[in-house]
Amino acid sequence: MEYRENMKNKYREALSTYLQDQTEQALYQGQKISKKSIEYNIAPEEIINIHKNILMDVYPDTPEKVLDSFDFLLEVMMGYGFAYREHQNLRHIQQELESEIKIAANVQSTLLETTIPNVDGLEIGAISVPARQMSGDYYHFVQDEKKHIGVAIADVIGKGIPAALCMSMIKYAMDSLPEHRHNPSSVLESLNRVVEHNVDPSMFITMFYGLYNPEKHLFSYSAAGHEPGFYYEAATKEFTDLSARGLLLGVDKKTKYVQYEKKVERGDMIILLSDGVTECRTSEGFIERETLIKFIQKNMHLHAQDIVHHLFKQLEKMQHFQLRDDFTLLILKRNV
Amino acid sequence: MDITVDVKDITSGVEVRVKGEIDAYTAPKLSEALYPLSKREGIVMIVDLTEVSYMDSTGLGIFVGLFKSVRAHNGVFTLVGLSERLQRLFDITGLADIIDIKSHAEGGVE
Amino acid sequence: MEFQSCVKIINEWDIVAARQLGRNVAKELGFGTVDQARITTAISELARNIYLYAGRGSVCIEKEYEHGKSGMKIIASDEGPGIQDIRKVMEDGYTTSGGLGAGLPGVKRLMDEFDIDSFPSKGTTITTIKWLR
Repeated sequence: MEYRENMKNKYREALSTYLQDQTEQALYQGQKISKKSIEYNIAPEEIINIHKNILMDVYPDTPEKVLDSFDFLLEVMMGYGFAYREHQNLRHIQQELESEIKIAANVQSTLLETTIPNVDGLEIGAISVPARQMSGDYYHFVQDEKKHIGVAIADVIGKGIPAALCMSMIKYAMDSLPEHRHNPSSVLESLNRVVEHNVDPSMFITMFYGLYNPEKHLFSYSAAGHEPGFYYEAATKEFTDLSARGLLLGVDKKTKYVQYEKKVERGDMIILLSDGVTECRTSEGFIERETLIKFIQKNMHLHAQDIVHHLFKQLEKMQHFQLRDDFTLLILKRNV
Repeated sequence: MDITVDVKDITSGVEVRVKGEIDAYTAPKLSEALYPLSKREGIVMIVDLTEVSYMDSTGLGIFVGLFKSVRAHNGVFTLVGLSERLQRLFDITGLADIIDIKSHAEGGVE
Repeated sequence: MEFQSCVKIINEWDIVAARQLGRNVAKELGFGTVDQARITTAISELARNIYLYAGRGSVCIEKEYEHGKSGMKIIASDEGPGIQDIRKVMEDGYTTSGGLGAGLPGVKRLMDEFDIDSFPSKGTTITTIKWLR
């Protein structure tokens, strides 16, 4: 209320000055009043009323018709006042939602937390960045009693909160898998049944699951409709697609998955990714897989963690710092 | 970017021509236009993607959903006119093995 | 009840009649120009809802006196289809009339008290009060 009185005085002052000499200074005062009025929730119709009253006061001989026109204007501005109030309330709701999502994102990142295992002879690099606040990508490392390392990378079709909710379920399903059933094809077969059974029919998950045997340096893997990664063979210095056939999780509960195996030699690298990496769109079009390979080659001498970090920075810059999709990149590099 | 979804009735079902980019923003429009049709018993649904310049995984989700719904209602679901990029998307996801994808020559939409 | 006056809402002109009635009573009670405009806008919205969605109904105006305060009560009632989910229509951003835009939450904000009863296929009654300050 106090501001209102104060504002009326300021309005009177600025309006009187303006009507006398039409100065820019007075108009600037007017602008300041409008800013302050928004801050104090003064509706547009109120301002018109204040205007009319002050005008009557300052120029008592203002023609009746001019004064009446302000009543008309006031009525017209009611609609704007209506919309203005709704807008303010919606903004408030948006702020609430944003803070809720922020909390949910924290819950999610705690839930999906994974520790990168420390294995002699194997460097592991991992990066995962959500496009929005919550991620539909997921990666996870487990080490079983035989010291074999399980690596999972998954991508829920879709983004944002629905994808994130779905991802949490996958994480839970992974945790409930029996210890001895970590061979890739059976992991995917069990998860496929869980997803088919529990998830909305328009939601699907792509997943790659690999198991690294550090004694024999054998990498066995299966994929469910997942974007193929790369395999770098140090002996030939060549990159090939790490393709594996297999249907998306959640489409058909009887799906079987093929398991592949690869002998990993010294200096070889396994590169796993989500489609947020290959679906990077720049002003010149999509990033080609060849371009990705070139980036990796340039940084190959670094530690696996530095490679993934550099690659992300590079792609982020190429997309002008706007991620369209969640981005996850994992590199396993045998160094001894 | 927006999309247009043209639905044309044919004897046993519908021919659908999609034009534009299919992503999280445009996907609901596609889904609203086609989902109700997919529930018609025994429907033949042919979707032409020749003029789809971009599709992300959200679009993929919609086509899987449509495929499942049409199949559940004893219908036939066919995709035609996939670009190389789209074809690759269906190959990678393993969907090319279960969904009927035709090249233009054998497709129903001229 | 000391005073009650009603307008039947059947066609669009009745909205104007309801506004006129509201404005007269508001003036009589001593509401200022801005509050008069708010009250008539609220009446307009309520009457428009009746006209667009229920087909027919009425808007009644009462003078209210309570604890030394005086005010104006608007009762808008119809026997239309009713509102399925009241919580939903009371959410901002849910625009039913496409008219002024803010619908019922807007009316609630313009007035001091607001109450709604609705039964599917029986009709809706909205009661709202503005107190004189």
